[in-house]
Amino acid sequence: MLKDKARIVRELGKIVGPNAVICEEDELRVYDTDGLTIFKAMPDVVVLPNSAGQVAEVVKVCHREKVPFVARGSGTGLSGGALPLEGGVLIGLNRMNRILEIDYENKRAVVEPGVINVWLTNAIAARGYYYAPDPASQLACSIGGNVAENSGGVRTPKYGVTTNHILGLEVVLPDGELVQLGGKTLDTPGYDLVGVFVGSEGTFGIATKVIARIMKKPEAVKTLMAVFENLEDASNAVSGIVAAGIVPVSIEMMDNNAIQAVEKGVGAGYPLDAGSVLVVEVDGPRAEVEALVHPITEVCEKNHVREVRLAKDDAERLLLWKGRKAAFAAMGQISPDYYVQDAVIPRTKLPQIMAYIADLSKKYGLRVANVFHAGDGNLHPLILYDSRNEGELHKAEEMGSEIMKACIGMGGSITGEHGVGREKREYMPLMYTEDDLEAMKKVKRVFNPDGVLNPGKIFPTGAKDVKAGPSGQRGIVEKVLGHS
Amino acid sequence: MLSEDILIQRLGAILGPEHVVAGPGASAHAVDGKIPRAVTFPGSVEELSAVIAFASAERLGVAPWGSGTKVALGGVPERLDIVVGLSRLNALVDYVPEDMTATFQVGMLLKDAQAILGQRGQWIALDPPYADRATVGGVLATNSSGPRRFRYGAARDFLIATRVVHADGKITKGGAKVVKNVTGYDIPKMHVGALGTLGILAEATFRLYPIPPAEKTYLAAFPAVESEQRVITQLLDSSLVPNAVELLDREAARQIAGQIGLPWQAGQYGLAVAIGSVPEAVDAQIAALRTLCGNGGGLHGHVLDGDTHHGFWRAVRNFTFGDGQRAVLKASVLLAKVSEAVRKGEEVATRAGLRLGIVAEAGSGILRYSLCGDRPEGFPQGVAEAVNTLRAFTREAGGSLVVLEAPPEVKARVDVWGPAGSAFSLMQRLKEQFDPQRILNPGRFVGGL
Repeated sequence: MLKDKARIVRELGKIVGPNAVICEEDELRVYDTDGLTIFKAMPDVVVLPNSAGQVAEVVKVCHREKVPFVARGSGTGLSGGALPLEGGVLIGLNRMNRILEIDYENKRAVVEPGVINVWLTNAIAARGYYYAPDPASQLACSIGGNVAENSGGVRTPKYGVTTNHILGLEVVLPDGELVQLGGKTLDTPGYDLVGVFVGSEGTFGIATKVIARIMKKPEAVKTLMAVFENLEDASNAVSGIVAAGIVPVSIEMMDNNAIQAVEKGVGAGYPLDAGSVLVVEVDGPRAEVEALVHPITEVCEKNHVREVRLAKDDAERLLLWKGRKAAFAAMGQISPDYYVQDAVIPRTKLPQIMAYIADLSKKYGLRVANVFHAGDGNLHPLILYDSRNEGELHKAEEMGSEIMKACIGMGGSITGEHGVGREKREYMPLMYTEDDLEAMKKVKRVFNPDGVLNPGKIFPTGAKDVKAGPSGQRGIVEKVLGHS
Repeated sequence: MLSEDILIQRLGAILGPEHVVAGPGASAHAVDGKIPRAVTFPGSVEELSAVIAFASAERLGVAPWGSGTKVALGGVPERLDIVVGLSRLNALVDYVPEDMTATFQVGMLLKDAQAILGQRGQWIALDPPYADRATVGGVLATNSSGPRRFRYGAARDFLIATRVVHADGKITKGGAKVVKNVTGYDIPKMHVGALGTLGILAEATFRLYPIPPAEKTYLAAFPAVESEQRVITQLLDSSLVPNAVELLDREAARQIAGQIGLPWQAGQYGLAVAIGSVPEAVDAQIAALRTLCGNGGGLHGHVLDGDTHHGFWRAVRNFTFGDGQRAVLKASVLLAKVSEAVRKGEEVATRAGLRLGIVAEAGSGILRYSLCGDRPEGFPQGVAEAVNTLRAFTREAGGSLVVLEAPPEVKARVDVWGPAGSAFSLMQRLKEQFDPQRILNPGRFVGGL
């Protein structure tokens, strides 16, 4: 429990107003987890500021009182990044949700951090523009959260991730100082602090304004579905498309378990008996797009494709995507729970890692559904388990850690877009030496010298993780000093 | 302080005496007229680390050196004891064409790297000035970019992993050799454009791009920069997908056209748009460009192909005055302000009695002003005035202005970087964390860091 809680809550209330402070336990429970529900931690108080000035004032109080604090957008994160591991103040940014400026001539948008990702594209679509990063949670996730996590999405093979689209930030530092990083123009003199900030998982400061690049919609888009008998052929086709010098917008892969779930859930028209389905999209000038369909089909044919189906119109295209985008949600059709991994491998290692995951699935006796960004080697094996069965979550986590280790062994990374957060912090030494991590800690000390902002994230603590609780209890309650 | 003899002896013991140059031979590696006490050429990352550890122990000022094409960038060094030449660190570390990633030691010439990748139809999507002489590391440390940035982004967008030698000699890696990665902080970006002041890049891994099957350029002449800007605005609002959109002022257009043997009427501005794609899409877009320019007041257009196309862009990238005293300024402005920035440059140059040529990446808002003076006496002051006026203009327009290249007499009169804004204290702290003794390029970066 926070020392002097009543006094601090009163002071915070004066800053943000009484309707923007939450400290009743049943209401706080909404904030005790994010999209990764296996971790839970309760804040002592939640504040909902509506301006950068209010954020700065709240942060100054936290800084003065040495109270840990953490920023939260929509809470869709998948690594426990917004969890208040040491209690304290949670700053919810949902009320800072205004699109401040859209500047078509200069191709920039200025938004507050709580703006939902898809709102931006919706706001500019009529003029033929869009915001490229499109994480699967784009209907719910906030752009501030995307900045914190450097979110990806399905367009990354061609258009990159969040960091490639953010030009400037207004940031409240952990001592309450407000600074401008970057701007609307390129190459602001000095170190690339925007580049360093994006993806810092809420440990460097709180972005209160985001300057993003907006793009003109392509003239033409074509989406095709390629149906394969097995994962190996599909994986080889992915490598083949990349090697042919084609840069598709997306190459998404689903295995049979994923297909089963999707078809039960939304019925996207994927063949139920297929070993794997690829959804490939290309965009650009019409002549270019039309010219790319043939070589992609050819690569698929070389890899024994059963069928290539080109979406005839927008309705068919959207249906193919509906299946892919609904895949995570559809898992409930085939399993009560799932645990998702986010590791990355060099694209040529796809066949090997798929075979390895299949072996692990047998070894652990847990099914796996693979639904992932094959075009950039970013895996999402969904390890299916039932939390009512004692020990299954534990097994799923063990299996996930074996997958991460294998990916590192192949020269990959433990996370491609979900972040390290709480979840993967103990795995950092798999990838980085102590010296490598020390270099990162130096950067953290620059922004967050006292460590009061978002403590317990990214860096290994050496602590043995608390494993799954008793049967029926979903989640691990953080046992943290000073937090009952 | 170590005597010269001891210094040379100690460095020789680390690298072998044949890889240490001192005395008159060191003057070829002078920075802003300051001659280093020794020039060293480590042959491995470990040797580089040993040299830096030694410099750290002795608190010697170090300047990393690729091939020297951009050594004029930055403030005059506070102190300079050792230049660390990276030309022997020029190996291909690994390359998996099917993964479209490659790792190079930083002393490799960019052109040699591109030649290796080109055999597989791939490239590092960077086309900076002096691309035939620049090294991979120099391009990264100076965040050097070129016209194709419009399509592909800059080094920060596709540098995915680094090995860096820190100020204490420690070697660390950042990022990963995969095209998508958010494990830990984005350390590689921190070093792009940092001029080696936070550590010396030793190896760099890039995400690669396929070389487009065809590329051509449409070059149109415009009587006024304002009508050209209107066409550019329309182009950027269209669904055309250029690789580069370049505006040339009258002088640059005249000189560059001359270099590739193209007839060019004096007094006209140029708009050059490169299109890369499959051949049929290139031709379709060139046709659309012709219409767009024609309707917007473009006077005549040329389609450049093959060697002419490549020669044209080489000339654009390397454009500067070859004779007399010269300075190069880089402005970054909002896209809609490019034509104004051109006019402002013309005014300023006329007032200061300087010759001026401008090449502008109009799709990215980046202008390079090349200034040249025929009379040595007024040159430094004239450039200083130009810098101050243009900087005031760019700042008002939400941008910045940096002196890329100028003689020390100019640097004595102006801050080459300009103000770093409210984030400067963060930058100071970053420097303190990574180079507390200030041995790496001291005084050359923003705010005298």
